[in-house]
Amino acid sequence: MQHAISISKLSKVYDSGLAALQEVDLDIRNGEILALLGPNGAGKTTLISIVCGIVNATNGKVSVQGHDIISEFRAARERIGLVPQELHVETFETVWDTVSYSRGLFGKKPNPPLIEQLLKDLTLWDKKDSKILELSGGMKRRVMIAKALAHEPKILFLDEPTAGVDVELRKDMWQLVRRLREGGVTIILTTHYIEEAEEIADRVGVINKGRLILVEEKSELMRKLGKKQLTVELNEVLETLPEALGGYDLDLENGGERIVYRYNSQAERTGIGSLLADLNRAGISVKDIATEQSSLEDIFVTLVEESR
Amino acid sequence: MNFEAVKAIYIFEMARMRRTLLQSVVSPVLSTSLYFIVFGAAIGSRIEEIDGVPYGSFIVPGLMMLTLLQNSISNASFGIYFPKFVGTIYEVLSAPISFLEIVLGYVGAAATKSLILGTIILATAHLFVPIEIRHPFWMLFFLVATAVTFSLFGFIIGIWADNFEKLQLIPLLVVTPLVFLGGSFYSIEMLPEFWQKVTLANPVLYLISGFRWSFYETSDVSVEVSIAMILLFLALCLGLVWWIFKTGYRLKT
Ligand SMILES: Nc1ncnc2c1ncn2[C@@H]1O[C@H](COP(=O)(O)OP(=O)(O)O)[C@@H](O)[C@H]1O
Ligand SMILES: [Mg+2]
Repeated sequence: MQHAISISKLSKVYDSGLAALQEVDLDIRNGEILALLGPNGAGKTTLISIVCGIVNATNGKVSVQGHDIISEFRAARERIGLVPQELHVETFETVWDTVSYSRGLFGKKPNPPLIEQLLKDLTLWDKKDSKILELSGGMKRRVMIAKALAHEPKILFLDEPTAGVDVELRKDMWQLVRRLREGGVTIILTTHYIEEAEEIADRVGVINKGRLILVEEKSELMRKLGKKQLTVELNEVLETLPEALGGYDLDLENGGERIVYRYNSQAERTGIGSLLADLNRAGISVKDIATEQSSLEDIFVTLVEESR
Repeated sequence: MNFEAVKAIYIFEMARMRRTLLQSVVSPVLSTSLYFIVFGAAIGSRIEEIDGVPYGSFIVPGLMMLTLLQNSISNASFGIYFPKFVGTIYEVLSAPISFLEIVLGYVGAAATKSLILGTIILATAHLFVPIEIRHPFWMLFFLVATAVTFSLFGFIIGIWADNFEKLQLIPLLVVTPLVFLGGSFYSIEMLPEFWQKVTLANPVLYLISGFRWSFYETSDVSVEVSIAMILLFLALCLGLVWWIFKTGYRLKT
């Protein structure tokens, strides 16, 4: 099957000599929502900028639904919409004009009903005749989204879409993203807010220092790397852990009132049953137990640390 | 060819000019009138005629060229510099358009505005002095070729400039002196022989001379040379733009 975007051996060295991307291979499936996670300076924006034609790659190939971004740049680019990280909008133009302009720029004939619907979806309709410089920051961001969607792209890039954005816009944005996905649009978003990726993505890619560390189904990633922990609250304070429990990876916390057991949730045998039995046998009385799954955030931190 | 995109850029740029319509029209009318008062009335009363042309009429082509050059450069350089400055250039770069189409849109709009201004000045001048256009075709040729060439030149400056000072630098320090010293308001025959030779090195002289020839059939250099020169400038600017396109100079990192 043809991919929405196919990236192979993509490298970028800026004039300053900084290697922002190193041999990145990535296939993005049609219709999926892919979250690219990575700390600041990881190379996320660089990756997007190359795909969109704003930055020249040093090495490597990128194709968009089978069209090379250099030799078939028209076919590649007309499929893509981009909402960049920085807030870049015209100043003296009206909302309506600037969104219509974007549509024309991408080679599409004017379509006022479509622009009208778009502005309504983004609650920009009553601002259509306002000059952009009169709008608030959140409204400007909505304008940028409208501009990116004005030519009905098949693939949408959202670079840090929620950085510094109010709750309402964030909610609207996720609603829009889900609706676009239902309409078959492939969405790639970058973020360093892990909860965001956890909430909305189908797959997660992690970039650090210009390298793509992994790409994985979100659920698979959670399953594979998701460590779980069992917290056992005790009725009586323990000075030390009894020798009988030496076979488990245990920590005594909270001044001896709590035992924490870390285990791998994907393992055949989690060992919970035998641990509880052994506790009982050792005469330790249990007040309460709870389990917790590590979040994507924990996974991410672990990965980034491992790749240092 | 992405005509919709060229159209979009052109319309967008023309709208920018429409917003400053009053200023765009009033300022050339005012400055033309001032030139006529200062040069036409004050100096013209001492210089009766040049090559059989009344002084007031004689300066009209030079005046048009002055405005044409200044405006072509400033419109086009600002048109492309501003998106770079505010960052909206990302959209133009990510659009399915070639550099040629970008140039057509921006330079086309800048040249159009210059042509409109040129016409306004001609009309204003006509209120003050009699004007005769002996070779309308060549007059239009010089007008359009100059507007396009210097809009291209302005576009190149706008791409090269990475701050406002640089944007102003070339028009202010190079172009304006060249226009004033290029025989806008006098015939170079009025200069001492040495300065006549020096003036021949001024490219703008050839434009003004050719343009004036199309009005009154008087010129400092032969009209064929003028035509060759304007075509040479056009080719130079096209070559530079093509090079920028090839290398992505100052547009892509
Ligand atoms: N135009 C540029 N010139 C030189 N270095 C750059 C440029 N743009 C980005 N970088 C550097 O490249 C690295 C990756 O940046 P970026 O792609 O913006 O990361 P991210 O979006 O993941 O935060 C950073 O170290 C950044 O400083
Ligand atoms: Mg970034």
